[in-house]
Amino acid sequence: MKLIRKKAAEVSSSRSRFAGEAIDRRTFLRRSGLALGGAAVATTLPPLMMRKAQASMTAPKAGVDTKLVKSVCTHCAVGCGVYAEVQNGVWTGQEPAFDHPFSLGAHCAKGASVREHGHGERRLKYPTKLVGGKWQKVSWDEAINEIGDKMLEIRKTSGPDSVYWLGSAKFSNEQSYLFRKFYAMWGSNNGDHQARICHSTTVAGVANTWGYGAMTNSMNDMRHSKAIMIVGGNPTEAHPVSMQHMFYAKERGAKLIVVEPRFTRTAAHADHYVRIRPGTDVAITWGMLWHIFENGWEDKEFINQRVWGMDQIREEVAKWTPAEVEKVTGADEATVKEAARLMAENRPSTHVWCMGGTQHTIGNNNTRSYCVLQLALGNMGTSGGGTNIFRGHDNVQGATDMCVLSHSLPGYYGLSAGAWKHWSRVWDVDYDWVQSRFDQGSYEKSKGKPVKPMNTKGFPVSRWIDGVLEDKANIAQKDNLRAMVFWGHAPNSQTRGLEMKKAMEKLDLLVIIDPYPTASAVMHDRSDGVYLLPAATQFETYGSVTASNRNLQWRDKVIEPLFESLPDQTIMYKFAKKLGFAEQFTKHIKVNDDEPLIEDATREFNRGMWTIGYTGQSPERLKAHQKNWHTFNPNTLQAEGGPVDGEYYGLPWPCWGTPEMKHPGTPILYDTSKPVAKGGLNFRARFGVERNGESLLADGSYPVGNEIGDGHPEFSDKLLKELGWWDDLSADEQAAAEGRNWKTDLSGGIQRVAIKHGCAPFGNARARAVVWTFPDPVPIHREPLYTSRYDLVAKYPTYEDRKSHYRLPVRYASIQAKDYSKEYPLILTSGRLVEYEGGGDESRSNPWLAELQQEMFAEINPADANDHGIKDGQQIWVEGAEGARLKVMALVTRRVAKGVVWLPFHFAGHLQGEDRRAKYPSGADPFVLGEAANTALTYGYDSVTQMQESKCSLCKIERA
Amino acid sequence: MARMKFLCDAERCIECNACVTACKNEHEVPWGVNRRRVVVLNDGVPGEKSISVACMHCTDAPCAAVCPVDCFYTTDDGIVLHDKDLCIGCGYCFYACPFGAPQYPQQSAFGVRGKMDKCTFCAGGPTADNSDAEYAKYGRNRIAEGKLPLCAEMCSTKALLAGDGDLVADIYRQRVIRRGGRPQTWGWETAYQS
Amino acid sequence: MYARAIITLAAAVMLTACYESTDVTVHKPGVYKGARDPLLAKQRAPEQQQTLRERFALVQPDR
Ligand code: SF4
Ligand code: SF4
Ligand code: SF4
Repeated sequence: MKLIRKKAAEVSSSRSRFAGEAIDRRTFLRRSGLALGGAAVATTLPPLMMRKAQASMTAPKAGVDTKLVKSVCTHCAVGCGVYAEVQNGVWTGQEPAFDHPFSLGAHCAKGASVREHGHGERRLKYPTKLVGGKWQKVSWDEAINEIGDKMLEIRKTSGPDSVYWLGSAKFSNEQSYLFRKFYAMWGSNNGDHQARICHSTTVAGVANTWGYGAMTNSMNDMRHSKAIMIVGGNPTEAHPVSMQHMFYAKERGAKLIVVEPRFTRTAAHADHYVRIRPGTDVAITWGMLWHIFENGWEDKEFINQRVWGMDQIREEVAKWTPAEVEKVTGADEATVKEAARLMAENRPSTHVWCMGGTQHTIGNNNTRSYCVLQLALGNMGTSGGGTNIFRGHDNVQGATDMCVLSHSLPGYYGLSAGAWKHWSRVWDVDYDWVQSRFDQGSYEKSKGKPVKPMNTKGFPVSRWIDGVLEDKANIAQKDNLRAMVFWGHAPNSQTRGLEMKKAMEKLDLLVIIDPYPTASAVMHDRSDGVYLLPAATQFETYGSVTASNRNLQWRDKVIEPLFESLPDQTIMYKFAKKLGFAEQFTKHIKVNDDEPLIEDATREFNRGMWTIGYTGQSPERLKAHQKNWHTFNPNTLQAEGGPVDGEYYGLPWPCWGTPEMKHPGTPILYDTSKPVAKGGLNFRARFGVERNGESLLADGSYPVGNEIGDGHPEFSDKLLKELGWWDDLSADEQAAAEGRNWKTDLSGGIQRVAIKHGCAPFGNARARAVVWTFPDPVPIHREPLYTSRYDLVAKYPTYEDRKSHYRLPVRYASIQAKDYSKEYPLILTSGRLVEYEGGGDESRSNPWLAELQQEMFAEINPADANDHGIKDGQQIWVEGAEGARLKVMALVTRRVAKGVVWLPFHFAGHLQGEDRRAKYPSGADPFVLGEAANTALTYGYDSVTQMQESKCSLCKIERA
Repeated sequence: MARMKFLCDAERCIECNACVTACKNEHEVPWGVNRRRVVVLNDGVPGEKSISVACMHCTDAPCAAVCPVDCFYTTDDGIVLHDKDLCIGCGYCFYACPFGAPQYPQQSAFGVRGKMDKCTFCAGGPTADNSDAEYAKYGRNRIAEGKLPLCAEMCSTKALLAGDGDLVADIYRQRVIRRGGRPQTWGWETAYQS
Repeated sequence: MYARAIITLAAAVMLTACYESTDVTVHKPGVYKGARDPLLAKQRAPEQQQTLRERFALVQPDR
């Protein structure tokens, strides 16, 4: 016997034995990244010692009491249940949550490793500031004082609008709500969060079509679908546990259709795959609709009763003949027709879309075209149908609903004086005081009249850099941005990285509040004026979180905040105190030791969010749902027996009226087969009652039990009186409802009475296929600014440049005027990896995840690789059309079509070939660093929401 | 008595790696050691499939057959375990194993092998069940706690099944009947000669 | 059978590696020489087998 000392070929020999010749992305990357990953760990501790060190701290101990805590995964909006085992305050184990209604015990890689957050090896450990290029530890008090003083000085010289409050989809609902209230009371609309750059075009497009801008059904409801079409989405990586429900349907005969430029892992499981050129979503959708109209597959009765404007759509669709569709999208007639046929012949069919559809200059056109397709097929308001729009971050739906945005107050009330008055009443503060907090100047006009910053949209996060860099004369506020607060936001999720670096360097003050330092700490070359404040994770506090399906789930606190980190609500309160509005900020919210009471925040938004029915979900009801996970049927999400019998899990909004009204939540939006009181609904009357002499109200379609028996406008005190239902209100309710409507009546009486008579408080109208208030009322195709098909620009040009939108000039035609496709011949697009999330700082700092993806890479087609003499595994330069260069590894694969380069967007820490690891505060650098894809992605913003164009640009590649 | 088996349903596996990180998490397996991993066939082209692989706990385990110090044993329900105190890290079992399951943590920069580590079916090793010593050497013993391997319990799509081989086969058979097609019990013939 | 094939393969791999060694012996499966695992006794109890079956019914089937 001889000992065989040989190590190099182990992985590959076993792999090739098992898997033949195939080599996959992971093997490839792991092998190539081995040295790097090893080095990253070796710099701290050799693996065996690391194991010992870890084991002594976080391993479960024999014979010690174990507490089981229920929480919810913080990595995506599927919202999987988490069971945490805690011993003596240490998170020592994670068990599957079998009884959880969405996940049934399942997790993806991220969810299965969340316990690492409780180790926090690479977390930010204490407040730190940058002094002369060195990170220096400071106390919380020092940090708050110094930052606060600087902000107050900026406020004095440049006005409140020169500070930007960038919030987060990582906040709980309560924190989101408090944060929105916080920057309202600071006196600016310059606040925003990730929703701007993920689904803002969905929210705007969908809400303007039928009332609410959210996922209409649920992941679980997809079990009842007969066909599922996914456009611009990759749930096997982005929402893995949703696949459990899709497979459930698929194994019972449902057809899975994937429409995508890239042959994703989801596409690998599809029955039918349609490859398109990036940025041609409207064209492919109209191409399908062309076949639907051609074959009479549309649902005529549904359209007659519940849709307005389909005729105008028909006119546009008629232009999208199979030949034109193939010319623009690249998909041939048979493939497109088959997709349309599968959707039409297997109803109810559902439509899923994600970032591939939303992140475009015509994102709002894309989302509306998807809605129109579902309306034409009559797939709305029915179980198994709907538009199942998968949201990204764990609470991006909730943070959107709380309107951590630059254009609205919580509940989508907008920024009008009426909206501010409504929320001033809820906060119980003087409207005049709120008004006095804002800049009193005026920098733009609306309908010829000057408007004040209080009532105008702030900068969107996608363009905060222009708020810093744009000439002061061109921006619609007093001064440029001078201070930036990144409160739970990774900068590498935004495009135009080099300009961002410049903007960061120009600021007076850069504040990062996060459990991890993020790339904001290292991507600039500042030497002073940067603060890092450690925030607690959601496992170190508690509160509610809204899953993609609109369900509110309650999280319990798993462990106390690690190191010196503090929960976000505490940090907000400390700042409010320093900045001088703590009293108003928490007027009706109890504060314990600088921490506002979460339950009081829930109750406060319950009192104000009538528009979307965030009013019935009291903390008590949500906690009861959490305790009774096991009583909900995963097929319907309805509780069967137990203390919350008959209610839908998480009281999906709208959960109408007061908590006492006990509305069960609305599991499927616009579903007329149930009474409103039991979760039924119809399309919202949001756009008036008539248009061009035609009624916009529903015709002969209404939810079961609707006493009006037809379409009707939204409810107000006047309508109640006209209908003779006013006396159904109690005396107190009458007093509160006088002069108000269903959105502003703080007693909830108007909603209660409308529902008592079987009516939806928001009226009963038609969906509109044509949004006459948008730049393109009928969704049309327009070529991207940086298009690979310059020959199509003449026929499908982009918009004219605009002078002011969200306070900034926006360029369209002036960029498209130049043909970049000769110099930059390849399409550049981006997407997700299952192991990482968002900017990736959190997940790249988790060794269990980081080990699986150690190297930033670019997928390129073999043909393009050969044309450029590039071999698999070589380092290459990817240069974006605005000149930024990324040094990444080439992964040569047929997953992408010829002419397309695909980048994952979770990496950061390298900049144009330079490794910036040394710039992180020591011990807080993520295990894995890499080039940020968005450094190379280019200018381009949606015409309605200023969503960034990050799915379609141009690049060139060369060997490094 | 039950015969414990693993089965990965390739029609459902989506290469999400939950099984891999669940394993890392449950046993605090160090960087560089992978008791479980996911392999992909036909990456990026139609026909792409992924399968999650770990020690299959073979009948007549080849690893045991080649071990020069006889440190392997098989429980009555078919779980193949080994004694790390005896193991000399020779690497023979790695070459014998048809699945490449045995792993060897590096003990120093020069790559001398440490004691072999592999999937235990979450059943620990030959020390007192659920003791701190067992955890440090073999990881958590879920079987002794009346639970099943965490990788399968947490699988995102219930592609990975673990437990009594008959019950596993029942579930899988139902799925195959429902969706049609040929059963593809990856690795079963090799591991269980059935 | 399979094991032998694999070992031959391993030998082949070795040949291409840093040194030659052709004297690979297939070891006769011996008797386990390690410590006793208390789990074995535990697993024999019918209640334990029942617990594991119940766990399986809880975690593995689709719901
Ligand atoms: S990231 Fe999403 S799918 Fe994965 S475990 Fe968390 S909630 Fe579930
Ligand atoms: S899979 Fe490999 S390690 Fe596991 S029992 Fe079989 S031969 Fe041994
Ligand atoms: S958790 Fe399940 S679906 Fe995910 S890789 Fe493992 S076996 Fe496959």
